Amino acid sequence: MYRPMNSPNPNSLKSRFTKGFVKALIRINKNHPRSASSSISSSPREIRRRYHKIKTASYASMACAVGRRRAWSRALLWKIRNQACNGGVVRRSIGSRSHYSMKKRVEQNKVNELRKVVPGGEGMDTWSLLEETAHYMKCLTTQVKVMRTIVEIHSTTT
Amino acid sequence: MGGHDSEDVGFQHRIDGSLNCPSSGMSMNPLPEKVSRTATSSVSMFKPSNGADPFFGSGWDPIVSLSQNDNFGGPSGVSHGEFPNPPYPVAMENQGMSSTSHLVQYPSDSSYVGMVPKLPQCFGSGSFSEMVGSFGLSECGQIANPGCPPNYNPNREGVTERTSTIGAQSHDDRQISEEGALGSSPNGKRRKRVSKSNSAFSPNKNADGELNKDMSGESSDYLKEQDEKKAKTEENAAANLRGKQMGKQTKENSQSGDPKDSYIHIRARRGQATNSHSLAERVRREKISERMRLLQELVPGCNKITGKAVMLDEIINYVQSLQQQVEFLSMKLATVNPELNIDIERILSKDILNSRSGSGAIFGFSPGIGSSHPYPPGMFPGNLPSMPTSAPQFPSLPQNVLDNELQGLFHMGFDSSSAIDNMGQNAGRLKPEL
Repeated sequence: MYRPMNSPNPNSLKSRFTKGFVKALIRINKNHPRSASSSISSSPREIRRRYHKIKTASYASMACAVGRRRAWSRALLWKIRNQACNGGVVRRSIGSRSHYSMKKRVEQNKVNELRKVVPGGEGMDTWSLLEETAHYMKCLTTQVKVMRTIVEIHSTTT
Repeated sequence: MGGHDSEDVGFQHRIDGSLNCPSSGMSMNPLPEKVSRTATSSVSMFKPSNGADPFFGSGWDPIVSLSQNDNFGGPSGVSHGEFPNPPYPVAMENQGMSSTSHLVQYPSDSSYVGMVPKLPQCFGSGSFSEMVGSFGLSECGQIANPGCPPNYNPNREGVTERTSTIGAQSHDDRQISEEGALGSSPNGKRRKRVSKSNSAFSPNKNADGELNKDMSGESSDYLKEQDEKKAKTEENAAANLRGKQMGKQTKENSQSGDPKDSYIHIRARRGQATNSHSLAERVRREKISERMRLLQELVPGCNKITGKAVMLDEIINYVQSLQQQVEFLSMKLATVNPELNIDIERILSKDILNSRSGSGAIFGFSPGIGSSHPYPPGMFPGNLPSMPTSAPQFPSLPQNVLDNELQGLFHMGFDSSSAIDNMGQNAGRLKPEL
């Protein structure tokens, strides 16, 4: 209402994510002050560290933007907070039933694969897994869009 | 409880709908068939005149199910009226002669509780009894018995010592005969339906065509044997009488019970041919396929895929590709100039300008970030190769350095997530384009 027509809804998920992510980016950049030339030619180790930070920040800001009402964002935040982003967390595994037919077993394998892809999916039943997958997919799409925009802006200004 | 009731009714409608339109997803395809079959059997059970006609039987089942839903609230339903003891042998004759399907014959068969030892002989080829043996153990034994023992106990005293699966099957069907002849108490109804569902659809589920073949081959034999069996209906009537008394007891018990019973009653009623386990399973499958449809809309290029496994594959691929894009973009961001001031408003407004289709459709697959990057939104494999289209905008020399570094990083195989191999592939795929 108080904004021009073409400006975004400040409460939309995208704006919340963008704000959080940009803040995180600025923080990351402040922690590693470097001149423009040296940043590009910095060591692979540096870039790798920054890459991890940025990746984590993007996921974290998306999870923060989504809030705690989603299982995947809760799981993601929990993982990030415990710095267990790359596994090593003991989770409840859902046992597969033995009387499944072959087709069902294939489907169950796929569902288990999907469980590994979606954060926090290990503890979900299939229905909520699919629900969370849908939401997670939407959020990832937004995330990719915003990040690509940022990259674009960077690339045009440098 | 009210919420459950309404949910149940709604589900009933959905089930009825899925009877009419069997195109509700691959995994659901066995279901309507199953329902219609079991419903057919129930038609012939409840309405002998309809049951004699194989075509009306299947045509009527939604109506019957609905009418049974309606009847179900009151203690005296249509089916109650149709279930006095005398008509029951007639019903069995009709079922036997008409041979609309094996399912119709089946309840009448097994209602001969007195001749359970003779049952294997009745099914001359033995294949049916074998199937009952195999599936009775796996399906009925697992699904029916855990759900039912509390209900069965009162009526089961004479039969419990039999341990063969055929015996178990005939226990269920003895329930049918006893309770079906009565059709009186809510609990009895539930039991009846539960046991009927086990006997009806467990062969259906597992050996559908096979069973049909067998039974059609056997039908002539069966008709002969039916005559023998008719001679024994008197015995059976005695058993029914006994069951009637039992059923009356349960009726009294359940009617004096609290409203929880009616809730259970509703569930069983509307399921038409399931026990609580398969009912819950059906609800679950319904919900899952609903979600799958939603996901299908979200994943681009997934509209024509019908297989559930293939769709899950696509979904996994898509989510992974999105995650890889996030990784790729964070890699890009890690290598670009960190000193830049990032204007949030600019990002958002630029995004909006570019994606034009509106800020309302945040999640929608609007055609990309920039009109300068017209990657096909319909094909998601196109997303990844199209990503480096932004790369030529970097200054040429730093871009080369950057890409070399990226490649190096990819090949170093640093920890990162599990998708790093895919990232490597990805980088390999990108290479020719750069």
